[in-house]
Amino acid sequence: MEKVTRLNANLPVVEKDPDSDELLSRIREDAPGAFDEFVTRFGGRIYAFGMKFCGEREDAKDVLQDTLLQAYRSLRELEHAEAMTSWLYRVAANACLMKRRKGKFDPEREISLEELLPGPGEAARIQIPDPAALPHDDAVRAETQARVQKAIGDLPPAYRIVLVMRDMEQLSTQEVADALSLEISAVKMRLHRARLMLRNSLEESYAADRRADGRP
Amino acid sequence: MSGRHAHGAPECVALFAKLSEYLDGELELGACADVEDHTADCERCREFLESLRRAVAHVASLHALELPENLKRDILSAYARARGSS
Repeated sequence: MEKVTRLNANLPVVEKDPDSDELLSRIREDAPGAFDEFVTRFGGRIYAFGMKFCGEREDAKDVLQDTLLQAYRSLRELEHAEAMTSWLYRVAANACLMKRRKGKFDPEREISLEELLPGPGEAARIQIPDPAALPHDDAVRAETQARVQKAIGDLPPAYRIVLVMRDMEQLSTQEVADALSLEISAVKMRLHRARLMLRNSLEESYAADRRADGRP
Repeated sequence: MSGRHAHGAPECVALFAKLSEYLDGELELGACADVEDHTADCERCREFLESLRRAVAHVASLHALELPENLKRDILSAYARARGSS
């Protein structure tokens, strides 16, 4: 675990959030109910994050518990409330790595853009449905979610973690860079490749369904 | 396909590298205008950009899991135990 003093030196101050200020003050004082509030505010997000990487509920539960307990103790020393989210995800990412028993979220090699260019055989028309135009049908939405989850799960971990943090957890590029100790340029590069891989996977998945149904 | 160039030309490949920054509103005005000019002219790039936007929107629409109540209880108990032993 990295020292919070180092974290304070590295993390920039981003936008002020009065709720985070107040919660951090209460955590520093170890006020009654502060840990409960901390768990309520971040527990669901960290649990979902753990599920994305571990795939097993028991592992995700361990990640959640390790992250919240460890982070809560360390957060008392954090100077800037604005850095709380990226600090928390840094702890969670480390807990996920411990579960995977691998050293870092480094790819064996970076995937080049050329590998992700659509091939000449790709269907001309868009196959991925517009989420805003999906029917209000629980079965259709559940099927779509499962397909997207599967495509995310198939991404190489180094790319998946950036996509989940940015597009699902809505962390800023700077927060992801801080959480994963990456340069901003590396976060942008991996995010773009992750999105392209995801897009290609979904296009192929929907195109395969169309072919199976005998549709052009 | 309409347009002044064949899809797959160097302009298309150059645009391909910038699409995420364009979707995130992180491109400078000039580069942003370049993307819009190009996609207005190149149907395949326009459709590619739209399919990428849809893929990203699907990810954003996945809801965070609700923390099961029993897990929350377990964590609060673990915290209480840790406090008691420190």
